[in-house]
Parts: sequence; structure tokens; C-alpha cells
Amino acid sequence: MKKTIFAAGVIALLGTTAMADGIGVSMAKFDDNFLTVLRNGIQTYADANGISVQIEDAQNDVAKQLDQINNFIASGVSAIVVNPVDTSATQAMSDAAAAASIPLVYVNRQPINVDTLPDNQAFVASNEVDSGTLETIEVCAQLKAAGKDNANVYIMMGELSNQAAVQRTADIHDVMAAGKCAVTLNIIDEQTANWSRDEAQNMMTNWLSTGAAFDAVIANNDEMAIGALQAIKAANIDMATVIVGGVDATQDALASMQAGELDVTVFQDAAGQGSGAVDAAVKLSKGEAVDQKVYIPFQLVTAANVADYLAKN
Amino acid sequence: MNDWGGMPVSQATHGLGGLKYDPTKRARPQELNVFLALVLIVFVFEVLNRINGTSFLFNMRDNVDTLFNQQRLDIIVLQVAITGIIALGVTQVIILGGIDLSSGSVVGATAMITMSFAQTALVNGNPNPKAVFGDWAMDLPVIAPIAIGIACGILAGLINGLLIAYTKIPPFIATLGMMVSARGVARWWSNGQPVSFPTDSYASLSNGDILGSATFGFLSWDGQNPAIYFVVLAVLFQFLMIYTVYGKRSYAIGSNEAAARMSGIAVDRHKVLVYTIAGTLAAIASILLTSKTLTAQAGMGVMYELDAIAMTVIGGVSLAGGRGSIIGTVLGALIFSVIISGFTSIKLDAYYQEMVKGAIIVGAVVLDQWRQRGQAKG
Repeated sequence: MKKTIFAAGVIALLGTTAMADGIGVSMAKFDDNFLTVLRNGIQTYADANGISVQIEDAQNDVAKQLDQINNFIASGVSAIVVNPVDTSATQAMSDAAAAASIPLVYVNRQPINVDTLPDNQAFVASNEVDSGTLETIEVCAQLKAAGKDNANVYIMMGELSNQAAVQRTADIHDVMAAGKCAVTLNIIDEQTANWSRDEAQNMMTNWLSTGAAFDAVIANNDEMAIGALQAIKAANIDMATVIVGGVDATQDALASMQAGELDVTVFQDAAGQGSGAVDAAVKLSKGEAVDQKVYIPFQLVTAANVADYLAKN
Repeated sequence: MNDWGGMPVSQATHGLGGLKYDPTKRARPQELNVFLALVLIVFVFEVLNRINGTSFLFNMRDNVDTLFNQQRLDIIVLQVAITGIIALGVTQVIILGGIDLSSGSVVGATAMITMSFAQTALVNGNPNPKAVFGDWAMDLPVIAPIAIGIACGILAGLINGLLIAYTKIPPFIATLGMMVSARGVARWWSNGQPVSFPTDSYASLSNGDILGSATFGFLSWDGQNPAIYFVVLAVLFQFLMIYTVYGKRSYAIGSNEAAARMSGIAVDRHKVLVYTIAGTLAAIASILLTSKTLTAQAGMGVMYELDAIAMTVIGGVSLAGGRGSIIGTVLGALIFSVIISGFTSIKLDAYYQEMVKGAIIVGAVVLDQWRQRGQAKG
């Protein structure tokens, strides 16, 4: 009996060492639509290039993520890809990987120590400043095209603790302040709907109940934009008279755009970020030079080019 | 102690060590206090709105000719209808002396599974990009996803109930296990991918006008179906809890489980029944949520169990069991909702909203405790 257990233990150990020269990936969470596309991008790219990847779910827990990284280091992976749970908790991760001289690549979320990364670490993402900026400028342009010079807008923010939410909201204000907006925007209210369609729908209905006239809704992501649209539709307001913008270009958003409801969204190339991160990790593990900041560009999606994006997310 | 148990209080003093029932010590029903709190909160928001020259409840627009702000009243019921339905089940479980932490995750798992059988084959003329199964699962009659969804809820509730009644593990642990496992099912079902684009008939479950069609257009309340289901279910369970043996057994078990067992109540069987009903209500909430939002996501329903428990507790239901009512929970849900709408109406900065909300939840219960202690002292 003892022998059996021992043998099973040895086999289990062999099992872990066998995948040692693969890439360890720690994702912030598995049940996020966007991160799932990114995760699938990593898996697909790795499979296509014969690279073994071990993808772990940090379940939005900073401590769990650091443990996963230490486990990867302990099992001697050739490189680590991290999608940080909390962008301000990355220093410890960089230190742990640097101490073990294992290359580390951050993907999608910009680590706080991005400017002081060791040589064998890199960051692959889209430049977050672009998404909100592209969205806002296009909403302004569409308002101008509709013959308006002054526009009342509502802003729907994502989770307030999230860097993308803070950045995209700041972008809106920056576009206004820099005079890049074709019309004069007057913000009626800005509130958080926590990235959620249901919360956004309720919030929009609450806003509609105040009776204030509005011309546009600028949301930090598509889910909230769709929630706002559902509330606007329920209130029998003509979709043609309001401009609604989101970010992400999810399938649901693209379908809504095709149906003539959503006006603006921004495509973030999740699969491109995933493959870019694996690519950088492989190069670093071979000792090749890699740019420390690799930016995968955001792309603006409107009714004019929506068909090009249907198959991408 | 509570007026909703329906049991007459004996006037006899023998065997009570001289304790006597004194009608003057009988305070207002618990629910009246919750209702007064609701009125007070509405009043506060009305005043805060008036300072800004707006109104919380009343219509200030020239182009609409109504006294009240109809949209505000609608959203106040609608935005808590779905969590409210969960809270109806949670209330029964808490009155029974238990707790149900699994409802939010059951919503998530049921949402994913149900939506997979409610999908439509074509979206804007293209094949459904989020299809989970093949053509056989497309455009099924609406009864199929409903039946599957309810079955999920019954199964989850049954497992909770059987674990609690027959393995004697604490409800907190049993439902905590279900909370984690059901969330796992929700994530595993489609590898975290959302499931979207339901059939029109499924979408109309929440977005249609059931009141209009049930009354031949006499009463119409378009897009408010979840609110109507919530009210109907609340009335149904208020009736069951007060006037039927089902409710009396729940109160009896929650007040004193040993005594209930001694007096011949099949305690274990009753517990299984109540947890199963709670699971079923969570599944109904999930069906309405996916129909309302036209999508199912693995993260749906996160924290709903805590919102439901908060509504229940604000509504005066005691976590110790045996005390409280469905009406209390409905009022608790409305307080919850008025706070959400009120914050938006006064444009309170988003950063402060949750801080204030938490304080209000705790404050409500503290006030209730003081009141009860005062009452006990006489």
C-alpha cells in the first residue's frame, strides 16, 4: 500500500517536472468575457506553435496570483505570463521572477513598475489612453454630424478600482479639455455601473426618470452601453436621436451596432495581446531582445466598418 | 413577538412565573416600523432633491401631465424585482433558522445553462456567434429553457436541503459549498464565454407586457414583468407563510427546532422543502435576469445572495430564525431600491455611494435591535 502511494507520488512529481519547460500563465480571472478571449488567444497561439502553456486562474485575488507565480518558478517554467489582478501589486511579482532569472511578461494591464522592469521582463497591451480617446472623439464627431454644437452627455464608469475605468473616464475629460471634441460637451452626470449590463440598464432608467434631455451616453465598456440602450429602447426614445458609445467590440455590441442601435465601440485586440505576450515570453526565454513595451493598437468600430470585426472576438 | 405568526397569544398566566400578557406592551408590528423607515428615507431624498430644485417622487416636467414621476416609481420596483425574488426564498430559509449563501451562484449557473437552450439561430441574418450547442438547441419553444432553468434551481435547492437535513452540517457550510460549486458550474459551462442572443419569446418573459395581456389591455405596464412576478410571488408566499401549515411549520422550526420536532413536525422533510423552494426562486430570478439583459454571463449574480440577505435583514427578519415576514422583506427591498435611485437622483459621487449604503444597512439593524430591547424592558 505504502509503495503504491509512493509510486503515485513519484508519478505526480514526474508529471509536474514534465511540463517544466513550458510557459506558466496566471490570468486575473477566468469569468471575464474579454480576458477569456485573451486567454483563448494565448492557448491558440501556443498550440499552433507547439508551446506548452499552463494557464491558472487567480480568481481576482492578488495573494493567489503571487502564489501561482512562485509555484511556476518552483516548477522551473521557461517563462511566465501574468495578467495582473491588481496593477499596483506587480513589484513583488517582478522581484520574484527576477530573483529566479525567469523571464516575465505582463499582459493587458499595465504594471505600476512598467518603467523600471528588469531586462528580461516586458509588457504587452494596448495603450489604454487610446480607447477612451478614440471613443470620445468619434461620439463628438457623430454629434457634430447630427447638427449639434452643444451636447448633454451621461458617462457610465466601470468599477472604480479598475485602472481602465479610471483612464477611460479621464480620457473623456482630456478630450474635452484639449478641444479635440467637435462639439461642446456638457456632462449631466457620471456614475459607475460596475461594467454590468443589468446595473447600467437600471442606472439609465434612473437617469431617464429625471427627465433631463440628453444627446449621448459614453460608457467605459460595451456591456454598460448595451444596458443603457435597452433602457433607452424601453422608454421608446428614438435610437437615431441619441449617440451611445462603448469599448471592447464584443459580439453582443457588434450585433447591436448592426441592428442600428450602438453607434461607437473600440476594438481591443485581445487575441493579439495574448499571442503577443506568448511571443515575447518565448523570445525572452531564448535570450532574444524584445521591446519592453509592446503596444497592440486599438481600432475604432462604427456602423461603417462593423462587418470587418464580426469574426475577430 | 410577531403578529404574523397568526397564533393567538394566551392570556393565561399559570405556569409562566407570573408573566402576564399586557396588550399595552404589544408594540406596532415590525413591518410598520420598516414602512415608516421607508417613508422617512423617501422624504429625506425628496428634501435633498428639492434643494437642487428637482423632485424625487413628483413629476416636475411640463411635457408630462402626471402628479408622480412614473418612471421613478417604475424603476424603484423593477430594479429590485430580481434580487427581491431571491430574497423571498432567503427570507423563508432565515425564518426557518437557516441561511442560504448559494443563491447568487445558483443564479449564475442557471443563467448559463438556461440561456444555452433559449438561443436563436440567426442574429441579423448571421449564424448566432455565441451558439453553445448545435442547431437542435436553437429556437426551442420557450417552455424548454424555463423547465430546464427551474430544474436547475430545484436540484441546487434539493442538494442544499438534503445536506442540511440529513448530514446535519450547518446551513452556512452546506450553502457555502453550493455557492462555490455552482459558480464553478457557471464558469465551466461555456469556458467563461457569455451566452447571448435569445429567442424573442424568451426575451419577452421580462421585456413584454404580461399585465396588459392578462387583463386584455386594461392594465398595461410595459417592460415591468419582473416587477409583476415579484409582487405575485410575494403575495403568494406571504399567504403561504401566514395561513398555511407550510408557513406555521417554518416559524415553529425557526423558533425552537427541538420543540417543533417533539410536537411531531417532520423537521427534516420540511427543511428540504424550504431549501428547494429557495433554490427554485433563485432559478426564477435567473430566468428573468437573463431574459431582461438578453445575455448570460458566468459572473452573473455575484453578491446577489448578500443583497438578498441585506434586504431580508432590513425588513426585520431575525437571523436567529422564527421572526419576520415576507412583507417585511418586500419593504426591505424597496428601502434598498429607494437608496439606489435616491443616490442617482441627487447625483451623489459614485465613490461615496457604497460607503453610505453599507452604513444604512447596519444602521437599520442597529435601530431595530434598540427598539426590540426597549420593548423587552417595557
